[in-house]
Amino acid sequence: MKIINVSFEVNSEPVSLQVKPYETLLETLRERLDLIGAKEACGLGSCGACTVIVDGIPLRSCLVLTPEVNGASITTIEGLGKDGNLHPLQESFMEKGAVQCGFCTSGMIMTAKALLDRNKRPSKKEVVKTMSSNICRCTGYKKIIEAVLDAASKETSKA
Amino acid sequence: MILPKFDYKKAEDIAQAIALYKGARGRACYLAGGTDLVPLVKLRLSTPKAMIDLKGIEQLNTILRKGNSLIVGANVTLFALKKHAAVKDYFPALYESLDATSCETLQMRGTIGGNLLQNTRCLLYNKSLDWRTARGFCYKMGGETCNVVPYAVACFSNYCSDNALSLLSLGASLKLAGLEGERKIKLDKLFSRDGRNPFTLKPGEILTEIHIPLKRSTGAYEKLRVRNAIDYPLLGVAVSIKEGKGRVCVGGIGPGPLVYDLKDVAGAALKDVAQQARQEAKPVANATLSASYRKKMVQVLTERAVKRALKEGK
Repeated sequence: MKIINVSFEVNSEPVSLQVKPYETLLETLRERLDLIGAKEACGLGSCGACTVIVDGIPLRSCLVLTPEVNGASITTIEGLGKDGNLHPLQESFMEKGAVQCGFCTSGMIMTAKALLDRNKRPSKKEVVKTMSSNICRCTGYKKIIEAVLDAASKETSKA
Repeated sequence: MILPKFDYKKAEDIAQAIALYKGARGRACYLAGGTDLVPLVKLRLSTPKAMIDLKGIEQLNTILRKGNSLIVGANVTLFALKKHAAVKDYFPALYESLDATSCETLQMRGTIGGNLLQNTRCLLYNKSLDWRTARGFCYKMGGETCNVVPYAVACFSNYCSDNALSLLSLGASLKLAGLEGERKIKLDKLFSRDGRNPFTLKPGEILTEIHIPLKRSTGAYEKLRVRNAIDYPLLGVAVSIKEGKGRVCVGGIGPGPLVYDLKDVAGAALKDVAQQARQEAKPVANATLSASYRKKMVQVLTERAVKRALKEGK
């Protein structure tokens, strides 16, 4: 198997790596770059726990081969906010109690961020539809939806 | 879940993709969105020596109006197609089926070509290698039996594309490029209706374009599902009506869709078609809902879809 050179941006920092052709983006992020925010749950694209944003589009990183994202710009949950300076979505998730076990949360927030990036003020219906891309086995969907709507209203009142 | 070893190649154009396929001596898969293919490879249901990435081919990424048809490149994502102005105006059935496919995140990755060419599914086939080895291989895995229907002579796996049904109802055709040049076929001719190998594509052929006749239609798509998101149809019915004539397509049951022409859209003809579809659909116990329920729902959803399509037209 030929090793492939790839370079891309992760959270605004350039990265150059040599990867196996059959390595998934999720493996690269977690095992080579120590970005363990994206989680592996089903590994088959059903659950959304591994969602990261690639060139503005939320992707299941367990279904993407690392060579496919050569030249792309990737945002993971680690790129959103730091301790003390959290992203509005992260704050809303905490305030509204949208985190139970927390395993799905990073995927949920990345899916929500991609939605708010393309639609600043989504209706509740649109939020429900987009957030149905991700599965929460604690089934706390109601609070997650409230949190996304809350973050959207904070963002627009600031602007 | 860990992927098996394979090589990764990126093609710049169609000729190069076909040359790469030749170079891999037939043991290669074309990769577009990967939302269907990568899980199959992870479960060892497909074991390619090489993946040929088609996403870099610009020609496959465009939607354009030419003459009397809308030409959709095979790599256009489901989400991009759904947002295209012509789709909502001209093809409501297609709009609804695109909207019903899986979930938004996967629509943004999955392509229309990949959606049409997804492999057929079965509750006892889409399993890990260990599970399948313990159970024994069925027809679709190269075995000599069907694990769902004892003594069956054919494979009963289900073709679960939502959008193939609406495209069929709209009379779409496909352009293919292969080792022996290009050809154009009606979408209906894509299906071999054999679950083991559900498509009539020749080895190495690439689906390049989908041509949809650009005529205003009314239509609807009804999908039987249990989760309302991230699930395959347990039964799908698409209806499109153009100039007083309609076409009903039933899928999600068996290895290929059922197609019925609706000569006039009056009540009696509709009942006949719905009953005929119910009689001819042969669901078996290979999905998460019972076969008898899915069979009953064929008639219910067909009637519902046609009624909704007619109502929209008024």
